Amino acid sequence: MLTALREVQIPLLAVMLLGGCAAKAWRALHSRSARSAAAATDATGLVPLHLRRPAVVMLFMAEALLGLGLIGTAGWLGDAAPRLPATIVRTATALFFLVAMGALNELRQRRPDAGCGCFGDFSDTPVGLRTIARPGVLCAAAVATIGLPPLRMPSSSAEAGMCLAALAVELTLIAFLSPELGDLLVRLGYTEPCELQRLPVGRTMSDLRASSPWRRYASQVSTAEPADVWREGCWRFVVYPGVVSARRVDIVFAVYLQARRPAVRVAVLDAATDEILGFAGARESAVL
Amino acid sequence: MQHLADIPRWCEDVMDSTSPARFARRSLLRAAVLGRTEATRFPAVTMADDDAGTAEQSLMYTVTGRILDVSPHILVLLTDRGEQRFALAASAAAWRGGLVSPAALRPGDHAILRRSLPGGPVVDRIWAEVGRVTGTIIEREGPASLFVDEGPAKGRRIVMIPRAASGRIQVRFPRLEPGYLIDVIGLKRDGFLQALIPATAQPPYRAGHQPAAPMVSGHIPDPVSGTAVWHEPGEEPDNLLGLAYPALDPETSCEHGTFGPPSFSGDLYAVDPHATGFGCTRLPYLSVGSLLWLRNDCTERTRFLPVTSCGATARLFCDRCVTCGTSPRGRIADLTMAAFVELGGALEVGCFNATMMIGG
Repeated sequence: MLTALREVQIPLLAVMLLGGCAAKAWRALHSRSARSAAAATDATGLVPLHLRRPAVVMLFMAEALLGLGLIGTAGWLGDAAPRLPATIVRTATALFFLVAMGALNELRQRRPDAGCGCFGDFSDTPVGLRTIARPGVLCAAAVATIGLPPLRMPSSSAEAGMCLAALAVELTLIAFLSPELGDLLVRLGYTEPCELQRLPVGRTMSDLRASSPWRRYASQVSTAEPADVWREGCWRFVVYPGVVSARRVDIVFAVYLQARRPAVRVAVLDAATDEILGFAGARESAVL
Repeated sequence: MQHLADIPRWCEDVMDSTSPARFARRSLLRAAVLGRTEATRFPAVTMADDDAGTAEQSLMYTVTGRILDVSPHILVLLTDRGEQRFALAASAAAWRGGLVSPAALRPGDHAILRRSLPGGPVVDRIWAEVGRVTGTIIEREGPASLFVDEGPAKGRRIVMIPRAASGRIQVRFPRLEPGYLIDVIGLKRDGFLQALIPATAQPPYRAGHQPAAPMVSGHIPDPVSGTAVWHEPGEEPDNLLGLAYPALDPETSCEHGTFGPPSFSGDLYAVDPHATGFGCTRLPYLSVGSLLWLRNDCTERTRFLPVTSCGATARLFCDRCVTCGTSPRGRIADLTMAAFVELGGALEVGCFNATMMIGG
């Protein structure tokens, strides 16, 4: 039974390492510039600024190597006498988490406002005792795997149930030690108000051109390009010069910024006098 | 798609905002298409019928120009309307690196005057050669010289801290090191700012790592309260009435800086404020030309003001103003000097508690 519990640790550690690697890599790749990545306030804040980006890259590369190494040496490869590859990878994993625990403790002392960055953007919560305890638990899990024989399928349903129960308990413990989980759940259920959502202009133009106000006034628009486009809160405004009954006019479209079936309104103004010559469009209430 | 390629044609060049005809018309077009007058947009604002919801472009309290002559009772100023003479109130005070008597001002100084009464001939406050630098320290040379990045729109400035002001500034800005924020007021000198007064307390975090604003459910509250600060005119006209707004629409504002490869070590510390999130106050995306209603909560003076430029650097500061009571955290408006004085702000104080209505 003890062996079964130890065996569960290998996939668990591999998933944690590869998850951390993916989150860090995502953050590094999606940073606007080398500067913003370098200036990130996380565990890499302990090294000089110019070394932070290389430190991030080294960190997620190490996690990738260890995660893949744990998986690769779990079966027949790890069975090669004297089981040296598996022992090396598992010992390195234990050391990695031990060092991580020390680094987080140091970060907590020196930069109490900084997040650990363990799971990229999700780890912005300042480092606390729970965050420090998590690599400690994972270090103990890695130590428990040293000397383990190659993984095998459970021999009975009782053993499989035992493995699953142990996995569930351990996942619960890790979830308790992970402030990222709460942030993740909040983010999953949150939608920004329309005033704060970034919506490309191209999307607005597509919505406009699919609307009935556009079809009604398209023949009066005199240029292919809008004369002005701007945004105020939930509305984006598009102005086209046009000609109506030999008068030069400005045709102003307002497109509500929502993903599906946005309201579109239109007004026609005399270009010289600003007199309103007509308007149309959905009149449902909308808030700026 | 063709229209995507067209974006640069109508994007908002901040410099373009100084010739505001195109942007000023946006309020009119907006009202026409949404069928909402400005009076219904700002229902909480009570005003005279003739100025409801319009940005009155003339300055009522503020005059800007260059001092031609000054005596104990009269000040002669060269303004964009020519030479103008102002009587000095008996209680008139002047600021030129500190409070001085008006007679101590020098011909040639750039000055901002505040009238006692709207449009009146008597002035009661004068600021001469006042300047401000707000941004991220990117280099430090010795104990007194800083190189500060004010963001992509404004560029970089040199700040010199004289020995006499060093203690006063370091009390509020203990970390005068690359990567930390600075906001100081002082005297404009040739090519640098002589810092004399801290404009706020230094945020404890590194530039770009301000705390995130709380999430908003439904729509953003309107009105919103926070801190209003001021900035130097730069390329704008001295007497421009308007504000740099911290949340211009990133899709149409062409506001992003050109951050190339670092050319010197200080570049590593420069922060693009557009890439650091909303800041600690969530404000709706607007554009140059959008009209806002702003109140100085300390003087109760109000004004409709147009957005005239990008104020993304304000997002980096998650501070409070304590001019009258304690404001909520976050900078909601970065006013032009003329607008700040017009609303009753004192330039050497640096901020006032403000309430802003965006209009729904």
